[in-house]
Amino acid sequence: MNLRALARIAALACALAGAAALAHEVPASLPMTLEARNGRLRAHLDLSPAFPPDLARQVGNGLTNVIAVHLALVSQASDEVSALYSREIDILYDVWDEAYRVTVKDVDADRPRSQTLTFQNYRSLRSYLSELRQTDLGPLSALGTGSWIVQTRVEVNPISKELLERTREFIANPASGSRVSGSSRSVLGVMASYLLRGSDSGAEVHRFRSAPFTVREVTVR
Amino acid sequence: MSPPASSRPTGRRASALLSRALGWRPPRLRPSRFELKISLALVLSGVVPLVAALWLAGRLADENLAFALNPRVLARLESTPTLFRDLFQARKQLYAEQARSIARGLPAEAGDLKTYLEQAVHRTARLRRAAVLDQEGTALAEAEATEPNPDGEWRGAPARVALRGGAVLECTFAIEARFFADLDEARELAEFYQSAGALRGDIRRSYLKAFGALLAVWALLAGLSGFWLARRTTRRVSDLIQAVRELAQGNLEVQVDPGAAADEVAGLARAFNAMVREVRESRDRIVYLEKISGWQEVARRLAHEIKNPLTPIQLAFQQLQVRFRASTSQDPELEKLMGEVGEIVREEIGTLQRLVEDFSSFAKLPEVRPEPCELGAFVEEFVRTSPQLTEGADVEITRGLSESPVALDRALMRRVLANLVKNAVEAAQPARARVHIGIARFNALGVVTIGDEGPGVEPSLRSRIFDPYFTTKGDGTGLGLAIVKKIVLQHGGEIAAGERPGGGALFTLSFPVVAADEPEVRTEPAAG
Repeated sequence: MNLRALARIAALACALAGAAALAHEVPASLPMTLEARNGRLRAHLDLSPAFPPDLARQVGNGLTNVIAVHLALVSQASDEVSALYSREIDILYDVWDEAYRVTVKDVDADRPRSQTLTFQNYRSLRSYLSELRQTDLGPLSALGTGSWIVQTRVEVNPISKELLERTREFIANPASGSRVSGSSRSVLGVMASYLLRGSDSGAEVHRFRSAPFTVREVTVR
Repeated sequence: MSPPASSRPTGRRASALLSRALGWRPPRLRPSRFELKISLALVLSGVVPLVAALWLAGRLADENLAFALNPRVLARLESTPTLFRDLFQARKQLYAEQARSIARGLPAEAGDLKTYLEQAVHRTARLRRAAVLDQEGTALAEAEATEPNPDGEWRGAPARVALRGGAVLECTFAIEARFFADLDEARELAEFYQSAGALRGDIRRSYLKAFGALLAVWALLAGLSGFWLARRTTRRVSDLIQAVRELAQGNLEVQVDPGAAADEVAGLARAFNAMVREVRESRDRIVYLEKISGWQEVARRLAHEIKNPLTPIQLAFQQLQVRFRASTSQDPELEKLMGEVGEIVREEIGTLQRLVEDFSSFAKLPEVRPEPCELGAFVEEFVRTSPQLTEGADVEITRGLSESPVALDRALMRRVLANLVKNAVEAAQPARARVHIGIARFNALGVVTIGDEGPGVEPSLRSRIFDPYFTTKGDGTGLGLAIVKKIVLQHGGEIAAGERPGGGALFTLSFPVVAADEPEVRTEPAAG
């Protein structure tokens, strides 16, 4: 058996292992209502499975918790993505005011928006987080006659770019974070920092998938 | 090490000449086995410990990360905001209780409220302001602390107590501002360690990747340096191999440059050069002796062929002269002619007899029988016992400090010295000659130099003056220096013609020094 044959077997084994792993990651069903306003498709999503009641302890720990929500409108026939939507929610429980300070950043290519909200208790916060309302999924006409689904990915406390940058800077120059002035850059640290550019670990991820729908099922208002 | 001189094809020779002229040689791209072996050895010797270091680095990274990102530390950091929350709640409860206590003591008379509130502000710790508000929020009485807060910068913590009739007691307590700064810093630190903890695996991998990349760079550098070192050595070895091949093909002019290094390869190159020089000199010596041997045979035959008819010619002419004198012829013209012809015949016969003697002498050079002697003493004895030299020339002898024990055939070497000194005297004529004789020892050679102040030998003729029958004199036979060289070579020595500093010819004779206890003296075989 030559090396090429071994490589093929290894690649096949890797593919099977990947497929098996994917099989375990079946997205949860996504309750959703759709409507069209001013010719644009808007979705109301119920993401409550991603925010169980016991999440209160985590989001109320006085540290900044980040919730990232990514939506994709996907053609069921071709897996082609028609619209993307992302929202990042920073939650900080203010231990003095005993309230949740929430900063919502809608990542929209056309109009990035940011708003700050305050919730006095977890119940109201959870209610807000669970319901994603009036989400713009692009022009209704883009749906055509095909069948579509909405895929949603909710990440709880992903590693933000800011934290990743701070971690990289710390690795490259450990003395930078201390109160002692001076630089302690090393070749190994700088290289390790450089190689730590990309990481998607650390997040608790919830995947949702809506039932297929067509344009006829969209309520026009 | 420069490439050896050789009889290469034209293109390669031109390339070699260009390389030698420019001091540059085209790089050989294909590595030799030796180069590969040395490079591989260096890479392995560099990589093996580095791989072990990589494993250690992985362990070290694990331990450092476990130490720096200790879950207990992280848990403590994460719980810090909760501690502050508890602290704030305790303060709030305390302040609420203090406000209720103040409310309980409020006087019934409105005129006494301000005094009471002032006293309350004064006696209640951290109370900065107290006010009684009516239903509309209008202050009925209020008091405010005037002295600075003893805990430094502060932030207001309100506490309200509802009073009868819809009025409100509003108290503002001070809470230390540093608590909030500390809380922010603790939160920032906890968030950072939280993310670092989540990235722990990635951090470890990035360190290992970085170390692996450095290892690869080190291995590459080790390989390149090994290749460079190997090429430096193998290039000289290759040159030596090439030179040996050319030597095997008969090129005795080949030499290799040992370079500036003082290693074994350079020593080998020097030894090779010395060996080739010795072989070349031996070959030249043998060739010369063979050539001389041939000329000796020619000289012997010529002497024989000339000598045989010479005596009958001489006798016949003598008979002719006797008969002419005895005749009665009175022709004065004929008598005069006979006298002139007789003179010519005698002179030419004498010349031919001398030539025959020279040829015979050259042809019958005796075999060299060397015996030990000290070169300087021998030369001085020669000068002392040759009065004819000092009569015709001023002889100056200069001796070095070291003695030169050599093996010489005294009779033949006297002939050599006599010949060279005679040439020096003749070169100075008609002036009186000054002959400079030097004796010195250079390492394993005893050297004699004989110089004059004559016109010297032209450089273009120096390589030919030892050839038989080559002469620059009008009456010379061209055998003197040939005989000299043959005798010197048969002693295992060398002779060279050059220019004396200050003008004139200089002949240098060198003989191998013989150890005092050396039982036998080696000499060149007498060819012919």
